[in-house]
Amino acid sequence: MLNEIFIKPFVDMVEAPDFLLQVLWEGLVSGILYALIALGFVLIFRSSRIFNFAQGIMVVFAALTLVGLYAMGVPAWICVLLTLGVMFVLAVAIERVVLRPLVGQPDIILFMATIGITLFLIGFGEIIFGGENKVMISEELGIPTGDTVLEPWGGLLILQHLDITVVVVATLLVLALLAFLNYTQMGRAIRALGDDHQAALSVGISLQTVWVLVWFIAGIIALVTGIAWGARAGVSFALEVIAYKALPVLMLGGLESITGAIIGGLMIGMLEKLFEIYWGQPLLGGNTETWFAFVLALVVLLFRPQGLFGEKIIERV
Amino acid sequence: MKHFAKLAAAAVVASVTAGAAMAEGLYTPNLSYRTGPFAATGIPLMNGQADYMNMLNARDGGIGGVMIDFDECETGYSTEKGVECYEKTKGKAIVTQPWSTGITLQVLPKTNVDEIPILAPGYGFSPMMDGKTFQWAFNAPSGYWDGADMIIQYLESQGDLAGKKIAFLHLDHPYGKEPIPVLEALAAAKGFEFTPIPVGLKEMQNQSAQWLQIRRMRPDNVIMWGWGAMNAGAITEAVKTKYPMENFIGVWWAGHDADLKIVGEDGKGYKSISWSFPNPDAPVMADIQKHVVEAGNTQSNPEEMSGVFYSRGIVISAILAEGIAVAQEHFGTAEINASQLRWGLENINMTEERIAELGLDGMVPPFATSCSNHTGNSGGWMLEWDGSKFVKASDLLTPNTDAYAALVAEKAGEYATSNAPWPVNEECEG
Repeated sequence: MLNEIFIKPFVDMVEAPDFLLQVLWEGLVSGILYALIALGFVLIFRSSRIFNFAQGIMVVFAALTLVGLYAMGVPAWICVLLTLGVMFVLAVAIERVVLRPLVGQPDIILFMATIGITLFLIGFGEIIFGGENKVMISEELGIPTGDTVLEPWGGLLILQHLDITVVVVATLLVLALLAFLNYTQMGRAIRALGDDHQAALSVGISLQTVWVLVWFIAGIIALVTGIAWGARAGVSFALEVIAYKALPVLMLGGLESITGAIIGGLMIGMLEKLFEIYWGQPLLGGNTETWFAFVLALVVLLFRPQGLFGEKIIERV
Repeated sequence: MKHFAKLAAAAVVASVTAGAAMAEGLYTPNLSYRTGPFAATGIPLMNGQADYMNMLNARDGGIGGVMIDFDECETGYSTEKGVECYEKTKGKAIVTQPWSTGITLQVLPKTNVDEIPILAPGYGFSPMMDGKTFQWAFNAPSGYWDGADMIIQYLESQGDLAGKKIAFLHLDHPYGKEPIPVLEALAAAKGFEFTPIPVGLKEMQNQSAQWLQIRRMRPDNVIMWGWGAMNAGAITEAVKTKYPMENFIGVWWAGHDADLKIVGEDGKGYKSISWSFPNPDAPVMADIQKHVVEAGNTQSNPEEMSGVFYSRGIVISAILAEGIAVAQEHFGTAEINASQLRWGLENINMTEERIAELGLDGMVPPFATSCSNHTGNSGGWMLEWDGSKFVKASDLLTPNTDAYAALVAEKAGEYATSNAPWPVNEECEG
């Protein structure tokens, strides 16, 4: 048994390095998408202390809107713009109808409100678009299909063009978000709200504007994530569960840390794949991805309750 | 918005017809799932079921002159909600249709006490075939163990299985695990290597780890017990990892046109065993078109109506309607109760002639239930995706039930013992 745990997996990795590369690549693709979803959660949490339970259904809603508009005969790229418009209207509506009346309420009330938003979007989405599985308009959006086959060390490494595109687009989006948060006035306003709510309000930062903005950014992230996952397995309400994969990322990286979301996402994406392939499948019968990330996050929380990159909260009494 | 208008119209029609039927009628609730992660597969099935019952109401005034009160209670495929729906609808129900193996397992003991037949066509707990033990449960026309046996039979017809590797990609859920005992027994008997590969509910759309395992083990065949988004996820990954599609076979719930349309031509050669098949020329389709679609009393769309799942929904309702008709004739009353329907369901004899009489030509194989056999073991056809639709790729395959008859008896016995006191129908012979 000790051999199976401590020796054999590493021997397998050395003996088939091409396969190891494939595992790492698949982990990277998943990880960058986890990071992207986690960023949506972090941005909203930083600016409003709200854990946005609706992030998952926003992915579904954005993807459904995109394919739904295309089905009405609207050109693909116009559909993207219109979907962004819909996500903006949604952000404004959420701020006006749900969040503004609840300003000053305990965090749990705001969290419950996002569960309400989830339930509303599920029902509304099903009424408008139906629950059937739909095909993502990947080709129409110019997302490349096919693959590149490499033969490192005489082995086999298959890189799907879709996955390459996802990695590139998600990386660019993450970099753009970082630039926005660090180098623009509005970005700094979001960070200021995250750092100190009262101080930020006292210098004239508009809470309403920032909330609309972060929910809209979460909507953009939802659309990109919806296109990426929808292109893999179709657009349906099952996409909602993808967002729950970001929960251990947040536990690991810290709810407030943008760096934590990115590094946490990549770490979980790659480590869960490595564990599943080299330990989970041979020793535990597989499907360890369901729990591995949570166990990893729990281990981290034992030593760093604020997550790897979260801020340590010191309360004086 | 077109969809919204259609739904609204259907809701109005449904409420009016339901209201009319509520007064007096055969209450046949369906624990449906038109929402949630499995909605994409549930919707065409539910639509097929509802359209057939609506057609009988419009064309024949119901069954035996009594309107059918076909009601849906939405579960979202959640076992907890399913049990709630069962409790909510059981009062005047003559049957319950739980629509998930998880829900079926939960309500199975309850139906024994409440004395309401469970109708779970092609799903549920496979030992339900043993009618002596499971007096109130029916999974006709074919059970999962039949499906597993037919798939292995088909593979064997392509060549000896000894020494071959077969991977079993399945949903990590009671449904996905259901055929494992039979497949393990068949692996031992026929000498093939059998490897189960579970897929978690959260991994349905991201099965790269499972397909990396398949790439590493290089199985001769992959058998899939998938559902909902898992099917599309698996087929997409199979294409991605360049697994030969002709070696990939799914159970009947993994043969949904919409899942294959995502990969289109790339999915050519993928197979699915099925006990139902769409026949657009069958008289029942014309009747549904005339009495339901043209009357604006449907939620179905023309594309889905040509698919495998919609036609399976029709067959499922036809089995229930046949059980009702048999019971009405035997007991000499149109207003049958749950107990009488139980008798009807265990005396169905769907011969080729009867299938033609019902207008279901070519849509379901012949089968017969009995007091001791609640499955009927109809057999099925191997369907193959031709790039745009499923076509029949085999003649009718029939399960070799002798291969797992002992297992049925053993598991049924185990169930009865662990749920003691469990009443067994001693009057049942054969």
